[in-house]
Amino acid sequence: MLASLKTGLKKTRDSLIDKYDMLFTDAVKDKNLFLEKIEELLILSDIGPRTTEEILTRFQAINIHQYKMNDFNYFKKYLKQILIELIPATDDAFIINPEILNIVMVVGVNGTGKTSFAGKLAYYFKDGALDTLLVPADTFRAGAIEQLTYLAKQIDVEVMRTSAGSEPASVVFDSIHSAKAKKKKLLIIDTAGRLHTYSNLMKELEKVKRVIKKNAPEAALNIILVIDATTGQNGLAQAISFKESLNISSITLTKLDGTSKGGIVFTIQKDLLIPVSFLTYGEKITDLCRYDTEKFIEILLN
Amino acid sequence: MLDILSEKFQSIFSKIREKGKISESDIKQSLREIKLALLEADVHYKVVKDFIVKLEEKVNQEVLSKTLTPGQQIIKITHGILTEILGEKQIKININEKIPTTILLIGLQGSGKTTTAVKLALTLKNNGHIPLLVAADRIRPAAIEQLSILGGEAGIDVFTGNINKSAIDTILEAEQWAKKYKYNVTIIDSAGRLHIDQELIQELKKIKNSIQVHETLLVLDALMGQDALRVANDFNNEVGVDGFILTKLDGDARGGVALSLRSRTNLPIKFAGVGEKITDLEPFYPDRISSRILGMGDTLTLIEKIEASYARNELQNMGGKVFREQFNLNDFYEQLKKIKKMGSLENIFNLMPFQFSSSLKNIKQDFGDEEKGLKRVEAIICSMTKQERLDPDIINGSRRRRIARGSGTTVNEVNRLLNQFFKMKKFLKQRTGLDSLVPFMRK
Ligand SMILES: Nc1nc2c(ncn2[C@@H]2O[C@H](COP(=O)(O)OP(=O)(O)O)[C@@H](O)[C@H]2O)c(=O)[nH]1
Ligand SMILES: [Mg+2]
Repeated sequence: MLASLKTGLKKTRDSLIDKYDMLFTDAVKDKNLFLEKIEELLILSDIGPRTTEEILTRFQAINIHQYKMNDFNYFKKYLKQILIELIPATDDAFIINPEILNIVMVVGVNGTGKTSFAGKLAYYFKDGALDTLLVPADTFRAGAIEQLTYLAKQIDVEVMRTSAGSEPASVVFDSIHSAKAKKKKLLIIDTAGRLHTYSNLMKELEKVKRVIKKNAPEAALNIILVIDATTGQNGLAQAISFKESLNISSITLTKLDGTSKGGIVFTIQKDLLIPVSFLTYGEKITDLCRYDTEKFIEILLN
Repeated sequence: MLDILSEKFQSIFSKIREKGKISESDIKQSLREIKLALLEADVHYKVVKDFIVKLEEKVNQEVLSKTLTPGQQIIKITHGILTEILGEKQIKININEKIPTTILLIGLQGSGKTTTAVKLALTLKNNGHIPLLVAADRIRPAAIEQLSILGGEAGIDVFTGNINKSAIDTILEAEQWAKKYKYNVTIIDSAGRLHIDQELIQELKKIKNSIQVHETLLVLDALMGQDALRVANDFNNEVGVDGFILTKLDGDARGGVALSLRSRTNLPIKFAGVGEKITDLEPFYPDRISSRILGMGDTLTLIEKIEASYARNELQNMGGKVFREQFNLNDFYEQLKKIKKMGSLENIFNLMPFQFSSSLKNIKQDFGDEEKGLKRVEAIICSMTKQERLDPDIINGSRRRRIARGSGTTVNEVNRLLNQFFKMKKFLKQRTGLDSLVPFMRK
């Protein structure tokens, strides 16, 4: 899994050495220039200007003239260390208990990769022999039900029959009962994309959550917000709103196979204490792995 | 209440006001705040750097006018530069009346190409054209279905062809079809792809080599961060792009991407996607986005309106801790009325910074028509006891039912109003209010 993440990221990795090398060459000459380079690196990762300032402040403390040209590794380590320290400890990002019914509700703004993630997740747990039911509760976007149904067929996982336009809460209600009757262990609910600024659409999701809580109070519930690595500072607003409405359990960061880093997710972790559970890095069903802080920071700084 | 400017920005300007003169370090600080605002709007790092250099030059050059405060002046200059970069007029799509036009939509995965294709086709149809949509996304499962369903909704023909055929074959067939049946615009919905995916980039080149494409439009998502510029440049260098469509502008993204695109490519932004309905496509208005990028709405106009409806000390009181802590339903209602006095809610929305306007929009969404909405809000608040208005926390279920009955509304509406109120209260505690405008007002 890690290996394929690496090939996915290889394109950007090649420039890594150069970048730090240059950082360091400049640093020897001029500390301000050096800090500016780090600022650029961080801003371009979408970590955001406030977090960048915070990190730079920590950098101010060190005396760069002490180090030699070939010490750029030291800087990389130092920067990495600062970033790791800024990520707070949180609860487990993802809880799954094979003894009971597990429900995963996938939410997020439009086009971030929710449906693909739902499919990937179902495939991910196939090895673990968790009997799974995929639920296309995106009854709004044209073709969304077909999309998930197609993915389900491809990986041979059962999918709930749903008709377009039906109410998401009632689809979820039916699928919980169906899952219980069939003794399913994992229920993955795909929901329609929505911008967090529409209060009526957020209420629709709150209702879905209430239905889950009421009809499967014993189930382990993970509500996952999907954020796409290309997302800029708006990601923070998304996380705030989804957290407020649904108290999301974790974030999945998608599309890491592009050139975007998803730095806003760093800031979200730091400021909102929301953990990250999964990363996706391609369109293949296998392009999914568990989140790991070291790995993530490595991606950020590439 | 208003997230006009960050607290720091505000305090810099109030200092300037007190002194009546701008010092060099004041300028430095306000430039820094503007830099932060731009970066928070996702304007590209390099573009921001250039912008600040230019701004600094202008600020140093311009003689401070007597009618404006220094704070207003800097904002005005900033707006000026923004508008200059963004361009003032909006640019239309090129449709040749004589020969059939082919438009190719390209972009990253999930940027909104399919929906945009249908919206664009509908716009053209409403302008008297005969569009044909071509389903050339052969990669994402059910993309063809999506286009067919939406095309059907819009009353626009969709060429799907044989689903086992490649994108390029489908496009070639569709071109023949369009010619034969006299469609005058063909809109091709292509599969989402990464700008660094060589194989799929080759496919686009091949498409452009095999048919005549009159407009290649890159669909970009307004929620994008720093990478947007690189994506745009890569697509443009590899495949050639004639313009952009920015989607998802109906949210609260500040849309700094627009500034990056305009300052670093010579290409126009032709349309803006503003919602999920097939009618939600607008021409791109550069002047609207410039206020939005700074996150402070059309501050100057807003200040004028506020000057007309609020007394200075009234605003200053609102900034006080007491007001914020004890904000109650009476205050809430007063605020709504005042804001209403400044003009129609709709117009005020357009002047306001985003965060606040979206909370007002919710009120409108929840209560419908603004006149009636405000009346219902009034009816609900009037049906409360004095105690309830001062201490809304005590309004429990049975009280809510009583209030709904008394005001001829529903419990749902009462709930929604209270929700809005508590949201606003929370917001007030965190942020500067309308009072943050005081430093900008004339004495
Ligand atoms: N390159 C890349 N594309 C992805 C990834 N995840 C999803 N996509 C693509 O993004 C587009 C939107 O995905 P979809 O799952 O339909 O998004 P939804 O609207 O949030 O459900 C599709 O074309 C997916 O194939 C990823 O990790 N990398
Ligand atoms: Mg979906």
